[in-house]
Amino acid sequence: MTDTAGRPVVNFEALFHQAPCGYLVTDDGGRIAAVNDTFVRWTGYSRTTLLGTKLQFLMPVGDQILYATHCIPQLGITGSVSEIAVDIVGADHIRRPALLSASRFAAAGQESGSIRVIIFSAHERRLYETELVSALRAAEESDAKRALAEQELRRLALHDALTGLPNRAGLKARFGAAPHGGTRERKSLAALFIDLDHFKAVNDSLGHSAGDNLLVSVAGRLAAAVQASGAVARLSGDEFVVVDEVAGTDDATALAASLLDVMAAPMHLEGLEIVISASIGIAVAQGGDDTVEDLIRRADIAVYRAKERGRNRWELHRPAPSDPAVDRLRALGELRRGIGEGALRVHYQPRIDLRTGRASGVEALVRWQHPTRGLLPPSEFIAMAEESGLVRPLGAWVLDETLKLAESLRRNDHHGAGLEFAVNLSARQLNDPGLVDMVEGALERRSMDPALLLLEITETALMSDPGAAVESLNALKNLGVGLAVDDFGTGYSSLMYLKKFPVNELKIDRSFIMGLGLDTGDGAIVGSCIDLAHAVGIRAVAEGVETSGQAQALQDMGCDLAQGYLFARPLPVPQLREWLASHA
Amino acid sequence: MLGALTAEAVAKRNNVTVLGRADGPVMLFAHGYGCDQDMWRRLVPYFAADYQVVLFDHVGAGHSDLDAYDREKYGTLDGYATDVLEICAALDLADVILVGHSVSAMIALIAAAREPERFARLILVAPSPRYTNDADDGYVGGFSHEDIEGLLKSLDSNYFAWAEALAPMAMGNPDSPEYAEELRSSFCRTNPSIARHFARVTFLSDSRSILDRVQCDSLILQCSDDLLAPPEVGTYVHQHLGHSTLVHLQTTGHCPHVSAPEATAGAILQYIGRRP
Repeated sequence: MTDTAGRPVVNFEALFHQAPCGYLVTDDGGRIAAVNDTFVRWTGYSRTTLLGTKLQFLMPVGDQILYATHCIPQLGITGSVSEIAVDIVGADHIRRPALLSASRFAAAGQESGSIRVIIFSAHERRLYETELVSALRAAEESDAKRALAEQELRRLALHDALTGLPNRAGLKARFGAAPHGGTRERKSLAALFIDLDHFKAVNDSLGHSAGDNLLVSVAGRLAAAVQASGAVARLSGDEFVVVDEVAGTDDATALAASLLDVMAAPMHLEGLEIVISASIGIAVAQGGDDTVEDLIRRADIAVYRAKERGRNRWELHRPAPSDPAVDRLRALGELRRGIGEGALRVHYQPRIDLRTGRASGVEALVRWQHPTRGLLPPSEFIAMAEESGLVRPLGAWVLDETLKLAESLRRNDHHGAGLEFAVNLSARQLNDPGLVDMVEGALERRSMDPALLLLEITETALMSDPGAAVESLNALKNLGVGLAVDDFGTGYSSLMYLKKFPVNELKIDRSFIMGLGLDTGDGAIVGSCIDLAHAVGIRAVAEGVETSGQAQALQDMGCDLAQGYLFARPLPVPQLREWLASHA
Repeated sequence: MLGALTAEAVAKRNNVTVLGRADGPVMLFAHGYGCDQDMWRRLVPYFAADYQVVLFDHVGAGHSDLDAYDREKYGTLDGYATDVLEICAALDLADVILVGHSVSAMIALIAAAREPERFARLILVAPSPRYTNDADDGYVGGFSHEDIEGLLKSLDSNYFAWAEALAPMAMGNPDSPEYAEELRSSFCRTNPSIARHFARVTFLSDSRSILDRVQCDSLILQCSDDLLAPPEVGTYVHQHLGHSTLVHLQTTGHCPHVSAPEATAGAILQYIGRRP
């Protein structure tokens, strides 16, 4: 059938009533003026009940609030709303998930305003969206939980569990690694190293728990005696450190004297009244070059003198007004003797494949067991070795030690098979014409597969004489050994040399890793270093990884290898073997 | 402290719009929950000829700077009141007639208690100092805690509708072609997580104690049939707020400035014209 204009005649009333969705017409206030059969059937209400009822009253209260605060204004201002998710509560009190779209027609002449509404049943879609949103909420919650756990871990890492005082790392975090001279308001930083006298005797005679109680009350006394600008830390056992700003050495020694007084008050342990004493070494920052670490080390030296001179006293560490040339000669003599007398050690830090979580190799790190200063890291003596030329025999010795270990692991220990061995090369070694022969000789002597040796060169060393470096590196490359750029990001960060030098690996400097998760800038730097490495087809390695948060972030960014205290410290050979066996 | 922010910084953060007569008395409009400054569109024309009209979006709503959203600051209505005062200071607004709808009526009262000298009059559209009932003292706010939990569920159900990227295409309405498609799809859109937090802050707050600390002249506009602000609530506000005038509008619903702009504007103009 057609009308007079030739258009097919449609039964609009049937279309209205039998449409596959609910149709309603309401006034501006939402009062239902017309409703189709589909909606009547779907909700189970009678038509007479629905007519005159406000549409929003068919929704649960939460939906009503949303409808009143969001949808009605939108209808009023823009004239329509689309696909609002609501529940329609049926005559059986069961909620029916639905999507609501509506258009508003303003009043015109005699006609008052009206709203045309379409309501679709949307059970499946609502179910799907609800699942998505609850998954999202769960993810948000677990993120928040992880952040809390990390915060707690960080707190734990920076504090001593027994006394609650900061530990060495906590002290460094508080005062930073930067030098502290007497610049700020003419105040200098001072460190007081406090060692309890005869603590071992307390432990031995009264037991460990009494010893622990003693340490806790000493911690409390020190904390109470130090002003807010300062900090008290427990380094280990019966060793405490107080760091504070002082006006000068007199100020520092006065503080030491007052601390000795505080300690001298009797305390009660296991029903006994005991009196303890301590020896204190003092170091005051001078001239702006001392870091907190330096101060603690100097105060540590002074405390030994205090002990030697009869305990229960303080001693000030005075850097000897010495001739630097004489100092250097003396230090060089010590190092030369050290090498000869076997005072140098190589420790090995595992390198972890972040995809498998297993060790893929180790980095060899040299240590010097100094007769008075303790175990020294390479930063304390390599520069000196470089300047004097001692680095040649030293470097050759480290390489040989490492390859000797590799050989032994290969022969006797199936856990060590296939491990890569990374050894550091200094700038001076790189420019040494004998380097390639030395490496080749060492490889042959220990029957080492060159592909399992990785030589690490710092970015700064590479850039000191790039022309010579390219030559040496190419020659090493021809031997079949791998090459890594160490401390990447601290030097020139030049993209050029990544292409020019035949390197296999880029090691991102620890200072950036430390900032992961704390500073978005560092995250971005680490991310782009990794991308950069991958863009030129080489591995990215992170050093100094200390938290699981950092490891997770690195893994998420696609970093290949990682090393750091989180996995393992640099270990002497026996401990390395144990570690490898337990992490196989 | 206040006034430390530049006009540009505040304008960016709160998407401030200035309209109307530049040398006229200042009217500052604060939108309520679930909306943004667009909701004033039908009301503003009644004032633009004689008043300087300042509109803004609360942080988290409309085109405000979402990066400025700080869960701690906006964890109470006080944080929103700080923004209102910062807008006044940055734009150097004086003798302000502050119009607040719904939760923003309470935000207006907090702002007026903190800086009384800034405001000439307060216009409180559909105010409620507390949406939930208080069993301890018999206060009737109209909702239970379960109702508000239900609201949060409804918000979650509309999560994807709030999120701009997935906004459904509005099909348009031949009856109101004057509104561009852009407005239809962006109207009162908000970040779903912020909408959820703001809902908690709005509907679980109790601002009753602010009422007797405000000395400013104020007009309470009460609608009939308002789900969010029943008549008892309007009477409560009137009784506890000194210098207040209560006017019942002959319109239903929670948004008289949208559904009956002429009557709403008439009541406001009559009130602010009553005394100079």
